[in-house]
Amino acid sequence: MKKKIGVYICECGPNIAEKIDIDKVIDAVSSLDGVAVVDRYKLLCSVDGKKFLEEQIKKQGITHLVVAACSPKQHEQTFMEVCINAGINPYLFQLANIREQCAWITEDKDEATKKAIILVKAAIGRVRYHDSLEKKEIECNPSVLMIGGGIAGIESSLLLASPDRTVYLVEKTSSLGGLITSFEKTYPNMQSCNSIKQKIENIYKNENIKVFTDSEVEEVLGFFGNFEVKVKRETEENEIDEFNVGAIVLATGSTLFDPDKIPRYGYGKIDNVITALEFEKMNLSGGILLKNNKPPKSVAIIHCVGRNEKGYCSEICCMYSLKFVRYLKDKLPDVKVTNFYSDLCIPGKSDQKFYEETKGKNVDFVRATDIEITKQGDKINIKYKNENNKNSLPIDMVILSPAVEPTSDASKLAELTSISQGDGGFFSEEHEKLSPISTSTDGVYIVGCAQGPKNISETIVQAGAATGKILSSLIPGRKIEPEVKTSQISESSCGGCKICNSVCPYGAITFDEAKRISVINEVICRGCGSCTATCPTGAAINKHFTFDQIYQELIEIVK
Amino acid sequence: MIDKEQYTDVLVIGAGIAGIEASLMFSKADRKVHLVEKTSYTGGTAIKFEEVFSNMECSTCMMAPRQQELLQDKNINLLTLAEVEEVKGSFGKFTVKIHKKARYVDMQNCIGCNACFEPCPVSLKNEFEEGLSEIKAIYVPFAGALPNVPMIDTDHCLRFKGKDKDCKACQEACMFEAIDFNQKDEQLELKVGAIVAATGFNIFDSRKTPQYGYAKVNDVYTALEFERLYASNGPTEGNIVLKNGNAPKSAAIIHCVGRDEKGYCSSVCCMYSLKFNHYLKSKIPEIKISEFYTDLCIPGKSHQKFYEKMKETEVDMIRASDIEISKQGKGIAVKYINGNGKKNSLPVDMAILAPAIEPRDDASKLAKILGISIDEYGFLEEENRDDSSVAISEPGVFVAGCAQGAKNIQDSVSQSCAAVGKVLSSSKYREKN
Repeated sequence: MKKKIGVYICECGPNIAEKIDIDKVIDAVSSLDGVAVVDRYKLLCSVDGKKFLEEQIKKQGITHLVVAACSPKQHEQTFMEVCINAGINPYLFQLANIREQCAWITEDKDEATKKAIILVKAAIGRVRYHDSLEKKEIECNPSVLMIGGGIAGIESSLLLASPDRTVYLVEKTSSLGGLITSFEKTYPNMQSCNSIKQKIENIYKNENIKVFTDSEVEEVLGFFGNFEVKVKRETEENEIDEFNVGAIVLATGSTLFDPDKIPRYGYGKIDNVITALEFEKMNLSGGILLKNNKPPKSVAIIHCVGRNEKGYCSEICCMYSLKFVRYLKDKLPDVKVTNFYSDLCIPGKSDQKFYEETKGKNVDFVRATDIEITKQGDKINIKYKNENNKNSLPIDMVILSPAVEPTSDASKLAELTSISQGDGGFFSEEHEKLSPISTSTDGVYIVGCAQGPKNISETIVQAGAATGKILSSLIPGRKIEPEVKTSQISESSCGGCKICNSVCPYGAITFDEAKRISVINEVICRGCGSCTATCPTGAAINKHFTFDQIYQELIEIVK
Repeated sequence: MIDKEQYTDVLVIGAGIAGIEASLMFSKADRKVHLVEKTSYTGGTAIKFEEVFSNMECSTCMMAPRQQELLQDKNINLLTLAEVEEVKGSFGKFTVKIHKKARYVDMQNCIGCNACFEPCPVSLKNEFEEGLSEIKAIYVPFAGALPNVPMIDTDHCLRFKGKDKDCKACQEACMFEAIDFNQKDEQLELKVGAIVAATGFNIFDSRKTPQYGYAKVNDVYTALEFERLYASNGPTEGNIVLKNGNAPKSAAIIHCVGRDEKGYCSSVCCMYSLKFNHYLKSKIPEIKISEFYTDLCIPGKSHQKFYEKMKETEVDMIRASDIEISKQGKGIAVKYINGNGKKNSLPVDMAILAPAIEPRDDASKLAKILGISIDEYGFLEEENRDDSSVAISEPGVFVAGCAQGAKNIQDSVSQSCAAVGKVLSSSKYREKN
């Protein structure tokens, strides 16, 4: 069948019409090979615009469509749907972005018009070589792998587990609960942390939750809806459990910055200089005591330990430092507490009230820099600068509030699940604002402090959010649709060099030893093109970015 | 036991970023969603921003695909100009009464060509633009509003006010017979199983802190006014200008306006104030900027990096208290006490106030309708502040976004996803089929 290319230019109200001479564009592309129709319309994405386009495709017998309008991010999907409604394959379509890449950024109308002509020609050049692509549907497994048995993993597991959805909860330590089990109370309500025990009981009672303690995830293969997981149990035989899940939640929590890395705080060298977590445990065990078993008469709490080194504010340290003041005042009413802070970061709605109620007799707040902790006889001496004045304070006990950082296994897990780590080594979300729970790997979600420093309430919210993401996308009995624009490897041209196997970020390529060639699993493949770019023989091609398609597009732009 | 008569539809109140996200997720899970929005458009407050911190992405570009998806989603029944009037029943079985005001423009016929605006003889202040520009009595509040269908403001339209009963200037200008003066307000009754309240926030009225000179001293703007001054679809098309039409040579950004009055830190002001620094420098590279703050509150893994990048632009960060803004000659004087306790004064051309986030003025009314309580600050109250903040003491009602307390977009979206998770995981919904 002869190709009949239809080219439709959207005015986008005044957005494109006023910045580009559309009639000139029409003149310039009308006589190109295969172009059957060129027309303009005031707003192609409108209800009427879509109707117009659909009718045009049918009436003119268009086989390949080019729309010159806005960014594909905005309306590629819209016009692909028009193609489906008009009865042509949606991949026989190309969108030329003459708004964001042209009208909106090129001041001079002649220049903008010239550029628009080039972009439209490039789209026409490319669309001639487009092939029809078909959507696939695959079965999915609704079960979930939950990595991390802290508060986030516990909350999410309890919400997710149901008769048609098993949750595999993998915890690397010997018990569930995570950091919160070391705390006596949570802020701002100073509520007892005992409720975590009830939740852990509920986990064990739930027959749809399988708990693996002392265990680590060893291997993750597959893709959203169909992951194959291997978990290693730290037993004598190092048992390996294998199971299939549809989604993975990384709730691996955080650890604290090691204050040993900043010698001026004296940690590990001076007695009675302890970290926040050590203080939590000391408080929980009942006695706030110095090394000599006497209660301290004065305590300093140093905020922001490691903030400069890490390059971010850990959000929770100011508040838990205030909580420590409460602990101290509850147990040692006469103790003098001095908070050394830089900026008070208390953003929650009742945080300020908590601060106001914590201030008071024998509780000082000193804005300080250049803190140095030394030993002075039996005591500790804190040297600091306050608004350029040098000061010092003798003290019995020092509590360091170190930055929150990702756990040591974060890199391994990021690699296993093919997601990336960003600022501070925390797992990177798909989109900072709109997709804070999702990642670059479909079906892999990140929650709690593994995603970034946050308090317990925000952690539980994210655990609920991952639950929402899974329950709304991985529904028992429903099929999922994988990427259509995948890569494939030509059996006859593959030389078996395996370069593509090593560059594929999704683990989609395996090596067929019998045939000595690489093979792409098109369900896992996301069509990123890494294999295509590295293949020395041209055997790997992306179905929607073939050599001809890219060449024809580029040649129109450079010639 | 599962009650077979449970309703599976969901009611989402508020079509801001949190409400949109929740609706799309419910729809993906095959729930029918009734999304009730008080205004004529979707996008809430975030659609007023030109860019969002910390990656300075264009806010409209970020949101438009989601808004488009919402409008095209067959599971989502978007009710604009609508408010919840009554809620009866309990989790799984709510009956909700909605009052939906007439738009007087047919959503199907209108193509959004805007031809109806010009002939309208009435001009009024555009509230969306914080009163910085005027619109007609038939209008869409801003270019790019979705749905892109105008409404008639019956409080000002000559025809509806009875001042000129025969005026049909807009109707005559419409080529698509979209304007229908006979539309009537509707009373709708919906049966839903769960409710998500995502009604957003107001900003603190800076007039209540007269020391900042707002509404008395020229060229003192609120954060939202300034957002619109910078917006490419705003009243000045993104040109930051003083009342006299000149570009400012210096500007002061005042953090924490109303913090003491409200009794909490609003969590986002430091970051958006730093964003404003970027706005100003990108339009007026030579401008001198001073940020007056108390404590820098920039929690989160990527925010300090943003702050350090902003510092490279030579912004003057001044820790200050007792700030007073007054008129000085043709400009503005910012008097303050600095960190060392010394009195100072700085002359600037423009001052931008970063006011606290506060509950919507109708939050307590909504709380009463929903049978839930408000907290000591007037926000919708969560069940347990140490725990998940989306559950409310009334089972089946959930809260998301700034309706629960001041927070940034990421945290709002997390909450809306969590509210969806809570609803979908509830046993009441498990056995839909």
